[in-house]
Amino acid sequence: MNKLNKILIATGLAGLSLTSCKRDVDLFPAPTNTISDLTAYDTRDRIEGNVRSIYASIKNSGMYGGRYQIFNDIRGGDFNNERTNVVTGFDVWQYTPTNNSTNSVQNHWSQAYYVINLANVFLDGMSKKGTAVVGQTLSNNFIAEARFLRAMSYYSLLQFYCRPFADGNGSKPGVPLRLTPNTGSGNYALARATVAQVYAQILEDLNFAETNVPLSYANATLNTTRAHRNTVIAFKTRVYLSMGQWNNVITEANKIVSANAPFAAASGVVHTMQANVRTPYTNFTTTESILSMPFAANEQPGTQNQLGFYYGPAALNGGSGEYSLIGTGIIADANWKATDARRGFIQTSGGKSWLMKYTIPSTFIDWAPVIRYPEVMLNLAEALAETATGVDARAVALLNAVRQRSDATTTFAPTTKAELISLILNERRIELLGEGFAGADLTRRLQPLPAKASVASVPSTSQQYIWPIPANELLLNPLMTDN
Amino acid sequence: MYMRRLLTLMVSMLLFFASSVFAQNKTVTGKVTDEKGVPVAGASVQAGKVGTTTGADGTFTLSVPANTKQLRVTYVGFESTSVSIGTSPMSIVLASEDKSLSEVVVVGYGTQRKKDYTGNTASIKGSAVANRPVQSFDQALGGRAAGVQVNIPSGVLNAAPVIRVRGINSLSLSSVPLFVIDGVPTFTGDFSGTNAAANPLAAINPNDIESIDIAKDAAATAIYGSRAANGVVFVTTKKGSRGKAKVSYDGWIGWNQPFGLPKLLDAFQYTELKNEALRNANAFSATNQFRLTNGPDGQPINTDWYDVVYRTGMMHNNAVSVSGGNESTQYYMSVGYTEQEGILRRNDFKRLGILMNVDHKANKYISMGAKLQYTNSMNLASQSSGSLPGEAFNTTGLGRVPMITAPNVAPYNNDGTYNLAGNLIGVMGNLVGQVGFSNPVVGFDLNRSNSEINQMQSNLYIQAKPFEFLTLKSTYALDYVYVDNELYQHPLSNEGFSTNGFAQSWYNKTKRWVWTNTAQFSKSFKKHNVSALIGVEQQKTEFIGFGLSRQNVNDPAFTNIQGGWTTPNTAGLGISDNYLYSEFASANYNFDRKYFIAANIRRDGASQLGANSKFGTFYGISGGWEISEENFWKQSFFGKTFSSFKIRGSYGKVGNISGLGNYASLSQFTSGLYGGAGTVAFAQAGNNNLGWETSTKTDFGVNFGVLNNRITAELAYYKNNVNGLILNVPQPPSAGLPNAIATNIGSLYNEGFEYLISADVVRGKNFTWRASINGAYNHNEVTSLAPGITQILTATSGLESVNITRPGYSIGQLFVTRTAGVDPATGRRIFVNGAGRQVFFQHVAPAGQARFMFADGTTAPAVGSQDAVVYGNTIPRWTGGFDNTFRYKQFELNVLFTYQLGYNIYFGSNAGLRDQRFWNNSTDVLARWQKAGDVTEIPRLIFGDNISNGSSFPLDVNVFNGNFLKLRGMTFAYNLPAKYADKLKISTARFYVAGNNLAIFSKYPGPDPEVSSNGNTPGAPGVDRNTIANARSITVGLNIGF
Repeated sequence: MNKLNKILIATGLAGLSLTSCKRDVDLFPAPTNTISDLTAYDTRDRIEGNVRSIYASIKNSGMYGGRYQIFNDIRGGDFNNERTNVVTGFDVWQYTPTNNSTNSVQNHWSQAYYVINLANVFLDGMSKKGTAVVGQTLSNNFIAEARFLRAMSYYSLLQFYCRPFADGNGSKPGVPLRLTPNTGSGNYALARATVAQVYAQILEDLNFAETNVPLSYANATLNTTRAHRNTVIAFKTRVYLSMGQWNNVITEANKIVSANAPFAAASGVVHTMQANVRTPYTNFTTTESILSMPFAANEQPGTQNQLGFYYGPAALNGGSGEYSLIGTGIIADANWKATDARRGFIQTSGGKSWLMKYTIPSTFIDWAPVIRYPEVMLNLAEALAETATGVDARAVALLNAVRQRSDATTTFAPTTKAELISLILNERRIELLGEGFAGADLTRRLQPLPAKASVASVPSTSQQYIWPIPANELLLNPLMTDN
Repeated sequence: MYMRRLLTLMVSMLLFFASSVFAQNKTVTGKVTDEKGVPVAGASVQAGKVGTTTGADGTFTLSVPANTKQLRVTYVGFESTSVSIGTSPMSIVLASEDKSLSEVVVVGYGTQRKKDYTGNTASIKGSAVANRPVQSFDQALGGRAAGVQVNIPSGVLNAAPVIRVRGINSLSLSSVPLFVIDGVPTFTGDFSGTNAAANPLAAINPNDIESIDIAKDAAATAIYGSRAANGVVFVTTKKGSRGKAKVSYDGWIGWNQPFGLPKLLDAFQYTELKNEALRNANAFSATNQFRLTNGPDGQPINTDWYDVVYRTGMMHNNAVSVSGGNESTQYYMSVGYTEQEGILRRNDFKRLGILMNVDHKANKYISMGAKLQYTNSMNLASQSSGSLPGEAFNTTGLGRVPMITAPNVAPYNNDGTYNLAGNLIGVMGNLVGQVGFSNPVVGFDLNRSNSEINQMQSNLYIQAKPFEFLTLKSTYALDYVYVDNELYQHPLSNEGFSTNGFAQSWYNKTKRWVWTNTAQFSKSFKKHNVSALIGVEQQKTEFIGFGLSRQNVNDPAFTNIQGGWTTPNTAGLGISDNYLYSEFASANYNFDRKYFIAANIRRDGASQLGANSKFGTFYGISGGWEISEENFWKQSFFGKTFSSFKIRGSYGKVGNISGLGNYASLSQFTSGLYGGAGTVAFAQAGNNNLGWETSTKTDFGVNFGVLNNRITAELAYYKNNVNGLILNVPQPPSAGLPNAIATNIGSLYNEGFEYLISADVVRGKNFTWRASINGAYNHNEVTSLAPGITQILTATSGLESVNITRPGYSIGQLFVTRTAGVDPATGRRIFVNGAGRQVFFQHVAPAGQARFMFADGTTAPAVGSQDAVVYGNTIPRWTGGFDNTFRYKQFELNVLFTYQLGYNIYFGSNAGLRDQRFWNNSTDVLARWQKAGDVTEIPRLIFGDNISNGSSFPLDVNVFNGNFLKLRGMTFAYNLPAKYADKLKISTARFYVAGNNLAIFSKYPGPDPEVSSNGNTPGAPGVDRNTIANARSITVGLNIGF
């Protein structure tokens, strides 16, 4: 055997012995751009990253980052569909989405439950490991935020897929209540809870959140994008309003609305209205914005989810002009004066009126408003008006505060309870236009969905009044029932 | 080993003494020629220990011991011969080698004599794919091998062909066979991230290919165990051979044209019919109508958008190779350059490649060799062709744009500016809101969607032969693919409008190394012939991608990411790896070349699989019986009829993970942003038990020849049971899982038979005709899916679900809603709903009527995709090819037909061609219903009607039989006679004219029944949705050998 042969064989043997050591490492790869489920709760930063991921998920893919608002807006009577495109809600607008409507019925459901499961997985991760890492107090902070977001998801599901609480006092079918983490294949058959049961869970989560989230954060951005105590309370007023539990609305709202003008929160983050109604749409982190979904050039809303893309036409902000304002809708309201600052949000182009609250051109990164302080004021006003025997003075004051910020020349002086309630509801259509209230405001009061253009009105008794259950849920969850 | 050396030494000494004692020499001279009298240069002439090689003129002079009686003359490609030394100069004629003895089959980690081989492998010569107007050799395989279906999915250059070996063998993983190039598994698919396609197999210059062997059954493929379920394609590049340097030049030029485009309405017909549709919709008015516009010449604009989008593409190809060598070193070197223009404007392909194969024998024990291949290819496009998987509904897709854009507008305004209205093409004189999507000319002029690929495929081996019967070999191979993707969309163009310009560049690196160590044992003991192989192989593949995406340009002068833009976002980020560790063995034994038995086994461990199921063991066994060697047979009637007759069969189990994500089995959290801060989101639920799809293959066949093998045939029956199909099993959406979890569940099978019959039909002195016909019948059936999954709908480009996979049916059957013609009384479309009841539809209903009505006038529920039925198979039952080569003196004609029978195609484009929105229509629509009593298949035109003809949901009226017979290739060549060649100081010269896709015999109304909008997607075959046609090409070429 010559020298070359020896070298060859020696090299071969050395190579073989080396590779057998390396083999097991290479067969069990550890991705370098993701984090393993085994270590997802190992550090404080990672745990907080998990919390933020739940926010990011409630923001993304068409929940509170745009589509929740849009679907609610276009279920009302103020917007006209311009594009007949089901991808951008044509079927929702004409009250005819089907079990197979991917971009509305299926996506919203899937995304809401993805958020719910993320929260459930997080709660499980905290109890198994995370709490020990960050300590009980911080753990409770984070858990409270997760539960708040879970509540928001269940709330959004109820608005679209379930009969309103007012119909049978919550006795109608709700959605499956999932409170345990799902991380692999399994048997996931689960029947629907009742609407009341789902609301009860929402409130349980919110009550826990209220006492466990921080009172405030280090800066205005966090105060607008993360849940603090007043955020939770504000959302509770919306939940109770949807249930028609006026007294609870008042109890909650009073925690963050002063007795008299200027109305503001007394503790925690001092929420109040800005002097100029335009301010919250240019400076996204004022104390008026209780919760908004943040966007940035490197954190975009995603194609066909952006508010500005839907409501702005090409000529104004380079949007798609999916929805114009119906000429006979709220913009025809004679009492909404031309001098009202909020009229400034209505611009015309191509002979049509457009809502220009969201003005940033492509990439359409206006923050999506979720809760603004005027909503809480109007929630309170409505509850006060409903519970009073006559005309509630504080309700009128709240209503006027909202109106007079934009139109100092108008002072409402309703003479009957019914007139006051009607004025408050009308003010919601003006103040909260394009912020996702129209549909839910109609359904919680069992009002018909309005007729518009070629679309007929849908009475509250109609099957079309709420969305159908997604076909894939019906197919894969044998205990699920359709609406 | 010392004994051996001692022995060698002693023998040498003895010989030395012998030669010195009896040294008395004589000189022998002579000339070696082939049967035609052409001198054979470089032939080895041996007399015992002494020897020489022949010179350029075939002559030799050799001094041999006086008592030497015999010369042994050998040369590659010829039968070795021993001749008695006669009077010098001797004249020695070498006979061409008997093909049947020298023919080898490439098997894993080596070759085997075809006659001894018991697996099922189809062999194709490199010349069959050389000098074709293709970008990659796999595009030229169609019709060449039984049971191997090759479809060219579109006329987009360098789109990977759809290749199926014995049917579709997977549902959600890849069904593309494993490609092994010179022993190294390589990449397939589309490596481009842009609208240009880039098949990595295009890195190989087809002219450099010696042979292609397609292994089909378990015996042939099992040595590639876990990757063998879809078959294995072995590609062997050319190597040098002993002899003086041979230089060869290949060049061709050619041109490409689209064919079979549907006829469209011209501007006048369009304007008239659209206005008719508006009237029928009660929407025609002075301010809402279509109108002609006069062009700069004062005549009405009448644009043929096909002319705008398609072109005659020019191509050329040049390759030079040099090969040669001596006893110890052989080399092959080549350089090739090709430039090809596609039928779509701005769709170009350029390749520059070099290859060097060197083999060196260092001494009696050690040999080594290397392959170096580097290729640069440019895959260029301007915008989406609408023809690659996922692109079918792109509004700028160039397949669709010419079909739907109004012919009464022009790409340019009369003043020469672009005709644009926002991101859309302008309406010109039409008084309607929209008459098209994009203006393609803007994209042609201003946009880019390019992919540049640099690929290096190289390897180095060292081989030791310590004993005659044992070969140890170690091969280290690299396959690196570097991809530069570059997108630019001008602010004026449809794509760049909304973002005020868009530029994105991203870089992908895929690096693979493969280290193979084998020991081969081969020995014959009397009539027992044994060979065995053991080996260990590791394969590691790493992927890295990164890039930058920019929107909102500061100044339109900036046209790349390096310019000034507003946003700096990431693009194409990715990092992952996979690893395969394998141990394998094979053994072959035959007795007297009559009884054959072979076995393969391979154990693979793959990093992609679940922690609990990393390893799998795969095997194949086969046997054969050459009956014609038996005495009883030889003496019987059969023996006189059949010149050879072999029965063979195989059985085994192989696997598939091709296409599985690198980290598919892991549970992972990914990181994004919320409010500018990092997130950690549960993004993938894994499966620790995720394992291979397994494929149990059975194969039986006979190979026989008659008339002294003038006619040979190979017949085979096969059945392939695939179990443990990996499906992404959906859970109820309310479970909130981030993904459908990959799970081994589900099964299917392919069963069929194949035949290959080759014959020397005419063997005259001047005229020969060799014909070869191959074909296969395949039956595909899905036997089970996951519990709770009764069916899988596979959408075309995420929008239109026309393919359904259900147990009891073949994969990807068409799922369409039925129609029953057009009501002659009213012109309404008649649908048949899920309950089988006829429903009459009119897009705009007069007062008192509904859009959907039953025959009795009552309102019917809307018909839609929920009324669809499983309508027909999309996988051809019969496929094959018919290859003929005629030679007359120096002329040669090769004609290749391919056919596919027994399947359906969903011609989705047809729905668009009859859509009653602003879209232009095919001339079929001229036969529309106009008045009561009209019997036609085109409903009354009502503007806005996107339902009657299939745009909203797929209809049976757009399903057609796909049967076709295609004249796929034809080459007419002239070989320059040797006497002229000699005068020109060249050895060979060949001139040819060749054509591709010259004729199609089919009733299919679309451009080409072969196209596939969904490319290689297993679950969605047979869809032709807005896909551009295939090209018809003519080339003129020249080969010269020096």
